Amino acid sequence: MLKIEKLESGYGAMQVLWQPSLEVSRGSITALLGPNGAGKSTLLSTVLNSVKPWGGKVYYKGEDVTYTPSHKKVHKGMALVPEGKHLFPNMTVYENLAMGAYLDKALAHKSESLDLVYTLFPRLKERHSQMAGLLSGGEQQMVTISRSLMTKPELIMLDEPSQGLAPKLVSEVFETIRKMKYDIGLTILLVEQNVDASLDSADYVYIMHEGSIKAEGVTEKIKESKDITSTYLGV
Amino acid sequence: MIFEQLMGNIVQGLILGAVYGMATMGLSLIFGVLKVVNVGHGAFIMVGAFITLFFFNTLGLNPLLAIPVAFAVGLAIGLLFYHTAIKRLLNAPELATLLATFSAGVLLEESIKLIFGSEFRGYNWDIGNIDLGFTALPVSKLYACLGSVLIALLLYIWFNRTRAGTAMRSVVEDSEGARVCGVNVQGAYAMSFAIGIGLTVASGVLLTMFIPVGINPYMGGGYTLKAFVIAVLGGLASPYGAFFGGLVFGFIENTSYTLFALLPGVEPFALTRFLSFMILLIILLIRPTGIIKAK
Repeated sequence: MLKIEKLESGYGAMQVLWQPSLEVSRGSITALLGPNGAGKSTLLSTVLNSVKPWGGKVYYKGEDVTYTPSHKKVHKGMALVPEGKHLFPNMTVYENLAMGAYLDKALAHKSESLDLVYTLFPRLKERHSQMAGLLSGGEQQMVTISRSLMTKPELIMLDEPSQGLAPKLVSEVFETIRKMKYDIGLTILLVEQNVDASLDSADYVYIMHEGSIKAEGVTEKIKESKDITSTYLGV
Repeated sequence: MIFEQLMGNIVQGLILGAVYGMATMGLSLIFGVLKVVNVGHGAFIMVGAFITLFFFNTLGLNPLLAIPVAFAVGLAIGLLFYHTAIKRLLNAPELATLLATFSAGVLLEESIKLIFGSEFRGYNWDIGNIDLGFTALPVSKLYACLGSVLIALLLYIWFNRTRAGTAMRSVVEDSEGARVCGVNVQGAYAMSFAIGIGLTVASGVLLTMFIPVGINPYMGGGYTLKAFVIAVLGGLASPYGAFFGGLVFGFIENTSYTLFALLPGVEPFALTRFLSFMILLIILLIRPTGIIKAK
């Protein structure tokens, strides 16, 4: 579904990504784990091209999309749930969700997408006319995830969706991620710092450190390898 | 007598204020979307004034016809300026865009001077007065006011009722959020910059309908300063805030002129300017987010 080859990028003169390569197969949950500052968020931003790639390749469904503009990638079915939410605070919950259906393709499925997210998060239906900026942190995260679902994606990339949430909400977020895979049939690339919860949900795991991939494997193998977990994940 | 004069000034002030407001909307739109301060604002107004002169004096056409043409010229200049300079400077320190817009202003002033010379010009579009009893209102000024209100309304509808406008609002709220929704953020930047410049050049036509004298390549400076006061009154980043800021400013400027004229030995015009900047200072001190709350 998504294939990244030796991607390079950074900010100004500082290189952050040092040729990580990874692959996300259709219908899977692939987790990208690693400590703070490993370059995980930069990787997702570079894949969407909101940070310009310096080198390497990004393939989506076999097509080279390395330098395709972000809005065209969203049109092709790639969605990003950005770190730090990035909601429209002075718009209502409904208007935020409607913005997710901004592109023609998504607009055609607006009402069914809306049904879907209101089924996933009934609380958003209750709050649909509230300003998004006034919601609690957990509710805002629900809006951010739902807004991405409104774009009618096939691949959804989540950047630390459990960050800053209370433990009960964290498990709710991971429950939602599993539903995206099993009920909606999405392909998921999950960037997380919450190692335990991620290892419980993921099919395949990559470990990133200092801008490159240090280890990878099916989840069970990673869990068993004490070397890897203690060196990079602090478990 | 004084009372009648004051009433007249209030009405004239509000009408002028609508035009001032419209002349600031472009500045606020560009700041709101791109966080770029257009220091060359007044020079773009000046271009609009020269387009009006050309329409009236050279072609013998109605100045109202110059409005859409000025808007179109502004769109073209805006797009050119955005793609040649602003686009590359968006991630640079703020000083870069300040210098770029300042230079663009100087470039426009000197180009117009090369073509038309630097003497003061004017035109006389006399289409009668409406007598309100306490004051006589030139119909041309009334047109300028109505045109401004209409353009402000159109912008409001465009922003709130069309898809492109909604996309623009989302970019103002959170550009990264807009990007992940599939909005072409770069395109939205280019479009709002072009529309902002288009509005500003068009406002040059409306302003000269109000003040059809003193048109020269360097007339913009005073308007730049006024636009900053008005934009700050309206909260800087909101075009509608700017419009209402303009109403307040026009009202204050015209009314204080009458009151200052009562003081013996005082040159009222200079004092109204002084007052404008006192207001700017006071607002910046006590309420830097603007006095008018617009969404």
